[in-house]
Amino acid sequence: MPTYVYAVTGADHPLPLHDLTGVGDPPTPLRALRADGLAAVAGDAPPGLRAKRRDVLAHQGVLEALMRDGATLPMRFGLVGPDDDEVVAALRREADVYRERLAELDGHVEYNLKAVRDEADLLREVVSDSAEIRQLNEQTRADEGDHDKRVALGEMVAREVTTRHQREADEVASRLAPAATRSHLADPGPQQFLNVSFLVPRTDADTFVAAVRQEADRRGDAYAFTLTGPLPPYSFV
Amino acid sequence: MTLVQQSNATAGGSGSGNLYDVLELILDRGLVIDAFVRVSLVGIEILKIDVRVVVASVDTYLRFAEACNRLDLESGRKAPSQLTEIVGDMTENGAKGKSKGVLGGAVEAISDSIQGKRDDAEEEPKKRSARKSASGRKAKGDEE
Repeated sequence: MPTYVYAVTGADHPLPLHDLTGVGDPPTPLRALRADGLAAVAGDAPPGLRAKRRDVLAHQGVLEALMRDGATLPMRFGLVGPDDDEVVAALRREADVYRERLAELDGHVEYNLKAVRDEADLLREVVSDSAEIRQLNEQTRADEGDHDKRVALGEMVAREVTTRHQREADEVASRLAPAATRSHLADPGPQQFLNVSFLVPRTDADTFVAAVRQEADRRGDAYAFTLTGPLPPYSFV
Repeated sequence: MTLVQQSNATAGGSGSGNLYDVLELILDRGLVIDAFVRVSLVGIEILKIDVRVVVASVDTYLRFAEACNRLDLESGRKAPSQLTEIVGDMTENGAKGKSKGVLGGAVEAISDSIQGKRDDAEEEPKKRSARKSASGRKAKGDEE
């Protein structure tokens, strides 16, 4: 029977597994596979498992519960080993690495910050900062038929938007970095200029959130920040 | 300023919570064990690539050009007396609304994909309602 793996923890983690709901319909029960001072939280892999919302939420729910009771290395969703013995063998193979990471991440949580800037606000800035863009904007506004000029305008604006997005992402990320242990900058999604995860000591979480709030305040009304956490440290394993 | 703080993906009454905001973390990060197989995420991976292609297309350029043409350049910078109007304008046509116009298709598509094929009863009947419940937590349901 293939084995679905949720997380790796230290052997001293209390692992309240009976309270947790695993992936699958009906959910498969969880069990701990132990080796070398580590435990893999696992369950039978449901046949035909895909990235459906219920199962992704179940995976996340198990990890959120585990992280409350001790250091937890979250597995990526959907990881399936051939059987329990192979999971135990994998724990043994990487035991040193896993123990080291558990020690590093102990007492830490992840916060993910995404930020968007009002597009009209940004475009207004782009247009007023460049005489060339302003001129093209006026020309294409007057003559809707000029396709090439419109493409040229759009391309210039797109380039400016990308540059400014990157600059603002760097600014925000570096301003918040001192309040966190580590950070992980990722590609922003559509609509966003910033997508960054921070590893934060649980005891400093309030200070970190206050720093984010301060930065959001400083940026003003044209910006919307979405801060999610505390999360299992997905970006730092 | 706007700061929406979300505790975690599974809390809250909406069921979907803010799963959408942490989806990439759950699907793309986290620990992997070499040689273990991964369940198929094919649809989701393809859509992520699509997002990047769309950003540098002529279609995007034309939409940016149109957005600039439509801009009221004066409203953002002058006359405090217009402040209320500006705020009103931003509420209607703000970042989420407008950039959704430029790139929203891909977002909708990913959102659709994560709901799977809706072959189990727990999942919500429509992707729109799922997005709304997620958005409602961010107090932007009025823009949907």
